[in-house]
Amino acid sequence: MGGPRGQFPSTQLSLLEAASSGDTLPNEALERVSALYWKPVYRFIRVKFRKSNEDAKDLTQTFFAAALQRDLFARFDPAKASFRTYLRMAVERFAANQHAARNRQKRGGNLEFEPVEEWAATAESPEQAFEREWQRQLFALALGDLRAHCEGSGKQLQFEIFEAYDLSSGDRPSYAALAARHGVAETSVTNYLAWARRMLRELVTERLRGVTAGERDLRDEIRRLWT
Amino acid sequence: MDLNDAVIDHLRQVAALPDLTGTRYELESEIGRGGMGVVYAARDRQLDRRVALKVLDSALAGEAQLIAHLEHPAIVPIYETGVLPDGRAFYAMKLVAGARLDQHLAGAPSLGERLRVLRRVGEALAFAHARGVIHRDIKPQNVMVGEFGEVYLMDWGVEAVAGTPAFRAPDDRLSQLSDVYGLGALLRFMLPASAPPALRAIADKAMRADPAVRYPDAPRLLADIERFQEGLAVEAWSEPLWHRLRRFASRNAVLLWLLAAYAGVKFLLFFLRNL
Repeated sequence: MGGPRGQFPSTQLSLLEAASSGDTLPNEALERVSALYWKPVYRFIRVKFRKSNEDAKDLTQTFFAAALQRDLFARFDPAKASFRTYLRMAVERFAANQHAARNRQKRGGNLEFEPVEEWAATAESPEQAFEREWQRQLFALALGDLRAHCEGSGKQLQFEIFEAYDLSSGDRPSYAALAARHGVAETSVTNYLAWARRMLRELVTERLRGVTAGERDLRDEIRRLWT
Repeated sequence: MDLNDAVIDHLRQVAALPDLTGTRYELESEIGRGGMGVVYAARDRQLDRRVALKVLDSALAGEAQLIAHLEHPAIVPIYETGVLPDGRAFYAMKLVAGARLDQHLAGAPSLGERLRVLRRVGEALAFAHARGVIHRDIKPQNVMVGEFGEVYLMDWGVEAVAGTPAFRAPDDRLSQLSDVYGLGALLRFMLPASAPPALRAIADKAMRADPAVRYPDAPRLLADIERFQEGLAVEAWSEPLWHRLRRFASRNAVLLWLLAAYAGVKFLLFFLRNL
């Protein structure tokens, strides 16, 4: 979580600001990166190299451990690419090397691909899978922040209405139905939703700030996310 | 919670909408996306009129300040600037009813109409340049032609906008000459296939890779277009002799017809005298 329970998460330092405090990223910054990127990296490896669930998990774990040892984050140059692109390319190189090394160990080149049928139905590219998972994880983290903020500041009702409407994966209830269910005016439902969406946007921005290389990178990510 | 793709798409949509709580505006619909932000049609409740509301991606408000200082008939007037409750900067401006230039050209306007629009764009640029402001992103999508023929150059650039590839000058550092390149690219885009070579030459000169051999400013480019329209030789093209003669004939048609008539009468009189 980005801050003490019940309070608005504190403003996060950008990766560059965090890195400038030493040769390597401090643990807190690394935790932010792995919180957001673990699942996208796992998903990318699974789709790109057709790894089994367990193998993909192992490779993801090994990647993040190796990234720490090799100062991968310190070598990031924001002038060349966004941090997201840089990380995905780093994963690709790393996993390709690991994949090749493992296959060399297996005499006779006994490749460990999963049956092709499982992947044939997947139309999206590994890069798309990475992006989609990154987006999902970003929202999941920001929604976690929002829930914690609401619980800590006595705004459970706002979150419940937001959850019932904006997080519904089926038919959305009408504003009138929500107002009746929670015993509030319909205008309050509108206001609560507007507030929660605004908060969510701010929290997403804060999460992004912690994993981007500065204002320019942050702005580009925000633009990509909302357009 | 189940964060499936549909829920994420919904969240992206609703959280991206500008929060107009506490403002005088009521959101109607999205009408376009430009450099650094999204433009919405909105209603100004206080004045009961429709406006265009540009919401910038971040707190950058420089763009609005920039345009607010440019009062010109071909630059959309800014009514108000402000910051939304979510921290994003916005500005309200006149809602122009009309068509984007690329849509306007789809109606196959005459060459004269095309040049009229280009000249209005060039005049707006010259005006802004005189005040030290450069546009940075001249392209058909940033030019609006209103219902009554009014022309607006929109989406004035800020630092972060680097232009659109087909219209962007290959300059290391953007300057007024980069806008001259953009104006030339716009002219080339607007010319029909049958356009005279003199006009193509004007576009080519404005689009030279070396800024030093382009027109030095927008007024010089416009002056060359004006010369073309008046039937004079243009600076950008050293025309062949036959073309010069044809242009001369076209400019002095009445005189030539009179001379021909005079010669005809003289010949007739000479012929009659010798009968």
